[in-house]
Amino acid sequence: MSFSLPYSRRRRYLTGIDWSIATLDAMTRRATGIGNHSQIVLELQGRLAPDGLRQALDRLSNHFPLIFGRVARDMVNLAPYWKSPTNLLDAEPRGLKPAARGIALTITQLPADANDSALTLLQEHVNTPLAGPTEHLRFLLIHLGDECSRLGMVFDHKLFDAFGAESFLHLIHETWQGNLDAIAPRIGQTEPAHLDHWPRRFLGGRIINRFRVRLSDRQVAGLPMPLRRHPRSVRFVHDSLTPQQADRFTRLAGEECGLPILLPSAISRAVMAIRPALAAASPAGSQYLVAVSVDARAPNRKWEDLFFNHLSFLGFSLPTDSTDSPVSWTASLRDQFFDQMKQGVPAAFQDATMLTRICPQWLGARIAKLPFRGRVCSFYFTCLRDSAFDQETFLGLQVTNLIHTPRVPPPPGLGFCMTFFRGRMNLVFSYLEGVLDDVSARDVLGRLKSLLLDPDRSSLAPRAVHSGS
Amino acid sequence: MAEPLSLQTIEDRLCTEIQVLFALEPGGIQPETTLQSLGMDSLRLVSLLIAVEKRFGINLMESGLKREALQSVRSLAAAIFSGQSR
Repeated sequence: MSFSLPYSRRRRYLTGIDWSIATLDAMTRRATGIGNHSQIVLELQGRLAPDGLRQALDRLSNHFPLIFGRVARDMVNLAPYWKSPTNLLDAEPRGLKPAARGIALTITQLPADANDSALTLLQEHVNTPLAGPTEHLRFLLIHLGDECSRLGMVFDHKLFDAFGAESFLHLIHETWQGNLDAIAPRIGQTEPAHLDHWPRRFLGGRIINRFRVRLSDRQVAGLPMPLRRHPRSVRFVHDSLTPQQADRFTRLAGEECGLPILLPSAISRAVMAIRPALAAASPAGSQYLVAVSVDARAPNRKWEDLFFNHLSFLGFSLPTDSTDSPVSWTASLRDQFFDQMKQGVPAAFQDATMLTRICPQWLGARIAKLPFRGRVCSFYFTCLRDSAFDQETFLGLQVTNLIHTPRVPPPPGLGFCMTFFRGRMNLVFSYLEGVLDDVSARDVLGRLKSLLLDPDRSSLAPRAVHSGS
Repeated sequence: MAEPLSLQTIEDRLCTEIQVLFALEPGGIQPETTLQSLGMDSLRLVSLLIAVEKRFGINLMESGLKREALQSVRSLAAAIFSGQSR
């Protein structure tokens, strides 16, 4: 039986996943001098008037002071929680200074053909540290002549996951349209401390420990971290598949897996694409270990689960000495997917991480690297199949694309992000400066695109289906 | 050997299973509900197939799952019903 004090029912306690993300933030800050944050870039047709955006952001700042919160620890039950200012408009919030300017918005004018300069600015934007422990959101609006605009939203992963960040963009649009009051009651701002169900948590811990032990029996292939310490930028290369190309790959991926799922085929292509870059590393490693983040929200909870983190993780392994084709690897990855789901790995991860909340972040960061001898994985992989921002327009302008540019935590400082916007598949490869050079990074993404456009069809004969365990 | 379930029974149990699996409101799932409306990404689809195997004892992958079976709760129930007889 659980019991909660009245004050605690109004708090937003951090879940285990939230705490893991906060620990990743500490790891990333320690390694690079900049925390674990990412950027979403909206490409818009026309010139976005900043006033409407500014008003919407101000309304949201006042309605959701948690945007300026920070991690704190409850001195009674010792659970970490998100400490928010009480109200930005009222005098003197308890214990915290409100952000002086609200959500920061910088506006820049460039010539219409200065696309490269815009990309450089956006890269600098995401690699600029947030102003302090209570800034978690920042915007850069770039006008390219009068023809188009780029809006970069940098967000701290402690505040949103990628899906939540897209939902927040949608919320900005709805606020501009005057619909905030209708939506706001649905947006979750409290979470209990979850100081119960301890047997389930420990069982989850056992499942995850066994899973990690199985994965850690072979050296993980990866690139060495650069010797120079922070600040260290994460760079990006971007490409995309047209809706027709994306649809073709999606159908082929379904044929490969025997199910209309994308993940195994996409991961196999990503491993094949990065393989030459990893082959040169020493020690070489005997397995590619891919850490995959998955959205764990129940369906149709876009508003309820907007803030904070609602994801879990899966881990996939492929031998480095395999000479099989991507299509052959897909079958192995599909089987690993089913095995992990049958073992309940995503739910176990959520349960097990609840136990880690008592552990200081600096210690959690060290423990996370222990099983893999300092290499957490070969690279991160994120695939957002359904976009939370499915609007045609944003603040009156046509949206032409929505791209994620995540800063990947080191180690390994490498990651693929595959997202869909109105049928188009966006591919972003992120790499920590010094881990890989720009030419190699462009080669990696080029290989990935080629593999997605022209998969190996030689092994599309029926394969033995997964027989379950 | 267990009696094969009727299609109606399978539909009702599948609706309940999906409601519990995805933490939906009671009565929120009907046989006509499309799986796409439930946001059926890779994770949810595999979760659903594993739940079907546990609940009905049928591995839909082995029994030859077709794309059409994943249109709606009703079509999935029909696939489970066919799978019983194999």
